[in-house]
Amino acid sequence: MARSPQRQSSREEYDYTEEYGSHSDQQSLRLRRVPSRVSNQNPPQFDWSSPHEEEDEEGSSGPPRDLRATPLPMALKRAMRQIQQMRVPVVSSRESWKRKKAKSLRKLKESGRGFLSFFSLWSKTLQKIGGNFGGGVQSYFLFLRFLVVLNFVSFLLIAGFVLIPSIVFRSVGSKLINSTGPEACMEYDPNPQGLVVFYNYFLDLLSGTGFMEYSYLFYGYYNNTMVEDVNFSYNIPLAYLLTAVFYFIFCLICIIVRMGTAARVVVATGVSTVGNYSMIAFTSWDYGCLGDRATKLKQKNIHYGLQVDLEEESMKKRAATLTLLQKIVLYSLRVSMCVLSLGLIIAAFFGIFKATEFSQKNSLQGGILGLFFEYLPSIVITAGNFVVPLLCDQIALIERYAPSNTVIVALLRSVFLRLVSLGVLLFTLWGQITCDGAENTGDCKLCQYNHLIYQCWETRVGQEMYKLTLFDFLINIAVLILVEFPRRMVVDNWSNKLTQWVGRQEFVVSANVLGLVYGQTVVWTGALFCPLLPLINTLKFILLFYFKKITLFYNCRPALKTFRSTTSTFFFLVVLLFGWGLGTVVIIYSVAEIRPSMGCGPFSVFPSMWSIVPMSFQKLSITSQEFLFFIGSQSFSIPLFALSCVVMCYFVALASVYGKSVALLRAQLKLEGRDKQFLVKQIEMLSQSQHILN
Amino acid sequence: MGNKQTTFTDEQLEAFQDCTFFTRKEILRLHGRYRELAPHLVPLDYTNSPDIRVPPTLIVTMPELKENPFRDRIVETFSEDGLGNLSFNDFVDMFSAFCETSPRELKTIYAFKIYDFNRDSFICKEDLRRTLNKLTKGELTPEEVSLVCDKSIEEADLDGDHKLSFTDFENMVSKAPDFLSNFHIRI
Repeated sequence: MARSPQRQSSREEYDYTEEYGSHSDQQSLRLRRVPSRVSNQNPPQFDWSSPHEEEDEEGSSGPPRDLRATPLPMALKRAMRQIQQMRVPVVSSRESWKRKKAKSLRKLKESGRGFLSFFSLWSKTLQKIGGNFGGGVQSYFLFLRFLVVLNFVSFLLIAGFVLIPSIVFRSVGSKLINSTGPEACMEYDPNPQGLVVFYNYFLDLLSGTGFMEYSYLFYGYYNNTMVEDVNFSYNIPLAYLLTAVFYFIFCLICIIVRMGTAARVVVATGVSTVGNYSMIAFTSWDYGCLGDRATKLKQKNIHYGLQVDLEEESMKKRAATLTLLQKIVLYSLRVSMCVLSLGLIIAAFFGIFKATEFSQKNSLQGGILGLFFEYLPSIVITAGNFVVPLLCDQIALIERYAPSNTVIVALLRSVFLRLVSLGVLLFTLWGQITCDGAENTGDCKLCQYNHLIYQCWETRVGQEMYKLTLFDFLINIAVLILVEFPRRMVVDNWSNKLTQWVGRQEFVVSANVLGLVYGQTVVWTGALFCPLLPLINTLKFILLFYFKKITLFYNCRPALKTFRSTTSTFFFLVVLLFGWGLGTVVIIYSVAEIRPSMGCGPFSVFPSMWSIVPMSFQKLSITSQEFLFFIGSQSFSIPLFALSCVVMCYFVALASVYGKSVALLRAQLKLEGRDKQFLVKQIEMLSQSQHILN
Repeated sequence: MGNKQTTFTDEQLEAFQDCTFFTRKEILRLHGRYRELAPHLVPLDYTNSPDIRVPPTLIVTMPELKENPFRDRIVETFSEDGLGNLSFNDFVDMFSAFCETSPRELKTIYAFKIYDFNRDSFICKEDLRRTLNKLTKGELTPEEVSLVCDKSIEEADLDGDHKLSFTDFENMVSKAPDFLSNFHIRI
């Protein structure tokens, strides 16, 4: 047997003594012996190598893999490897061929992985950030990198299917249907009249009007063309719509795949409870930590973490001893503070509503004042997003939640504020485009949308999103240059009590991530109306990466309250999913319900954007039509639905079974430990009584 | 491409690749790092497997280990004589256990060995106290340290013997989501 030579060789090389005196222990504890790496006295130790030797015997999982994962010194591993190699001829030729294939496949995979890592963006930078500032900050930059790649791939998609065919087929191709409709609705004149002052170009660049409006940037420039050749046809409106739909589905799949890996860790480890001292003691030190400053910081982190836990314990004890009166006071305080923060948020929404209305009414002003009015919604949203969380933080202090709960509550409030403020802006725009939903009254009667204010409403919505994106980016840069750099210079060069109390800027991960989610949500809502927005967003995020890196290394000190990096990744993706949901609602509503502008864009002749799909559908061959009808019909979808329910039930059952077996095994471990103690005591008693007898 | 090197025979490199998580290039790079620590001691030519050991005082000067509070314990755990003198085999072994592709079970085993200061294959209160002191470098008062030790053992101890055996440790670590990413030295 292959096992015995190693046992014997290990016995020869190392020696060990037992803690318990009698021989019978030796037999029962035999499996707990191990070749120790130290040649001095040791009590029986856990057998590190035996589980892996077991697998060796079966040989099914490929020996070299086990060899790398065995916790033995290198010399022993090489000896084992030689023994395995000598054993190979005994195995059948088919087995050895399979093993060789598995080995070469593994080598190929590893070299492939090495090749791909060459392409992975910014990996050295991310390592440096992780080493110096910890996992929480690194997860922010990883998230940013994910969004950059997502946006870039989306842009390639859009460019390939919409932009390039539009450019190529601009002159070729015929109109799909000739436009009919009231003359007033078909007016669309994006180009400015008369002499244009030079600085207008700059203003136009910032607000997407003027020379930028009638360009590939916005919906209004794309044409209702269809190219038909001998064996090739390309329907641009259909391509536009289907690309937008596919873009959303693609983003959803990417997010869910990324969530899957993060979720697996979260589910496996369960919800982390507060006060997990052992975890902090054993697993919190980051071995990859580099640099003197970083290690001192890590120590402060751990110290702070332990203190926080100790404090939470004492708070819990205090909370348990509150009298009824104090409890009533505390809960009523919490409720009133909650109402107050809700009131603040609603006030912010009202401000955005009013600002958007005002901006849309006064959008025809020229010059700097006009630019200010154009940007008014963005300004109000940004101001609200800045001021309201600050106030909510102060409110949360009064509420006296446990520290970890405070963070979660503040985060949820900020998410709610950011995403719903964007929703309010969109709602206001909708109200103005469709005359508050009553499409057959007032200004909307003629064209079913407000053609007086909006000759091409899709382009206007696209412009709003473009302005939001640009403004968000400019504000980030402005805060960096005007707030963070001066703050550091003041703190470093003036040392009095005030500056020490204010201190250097802290890199707050949660606020920054919410900024990213907000930016991505704006892109999602605007992608249908401004096809180049993903490209602009890619560039914006790339620049943001470098700017944030610079500010991190020069201006920031790492936060004392660190984020758990694995659970936080999952949380970021969940919030991103909310943003995706908002974008989906907008696109579904615009595609299905609002009448496209008659004066511009590829859908000018259709009653709704969606109606191009049934129209093109009828041009397909009969078999494809029947196949697609079948897929959409009840006789296919109901069995499919039933099947997916069954599969889901299977996985839920599997998960619960695993959970139960884990709990059972844990209980069994406890019992075995107690049994062992009991037996050891019995043995001691017996041996003592034997000694006494003797 | 790697045939020009004369540090190792191909057979040795194959053996290293099979026994660790490194590729050829990484092993050669590690040899360069190992040699940097003691250029007069470590030969360039390893084809006849010389038995050279670098003392721990030189190994802990590596930038990856310099600031680690457990550097002495790490080096002792991976050395064959238990005093910290690492041969090249041990050196490669050490970084292989800490690398990204190393599995959780292996890392757990070595983490347990590192934190077991008195090498009795249990983490008792004294081991934990020394761990905490190294972690917080004296920022906590002795009473706080004692309290944290008691609470940690209380949380993780399954069989009730007031010290942590390997199974207790493994069970506790399996619930820690950051363990794999933290127990990782980038080289």
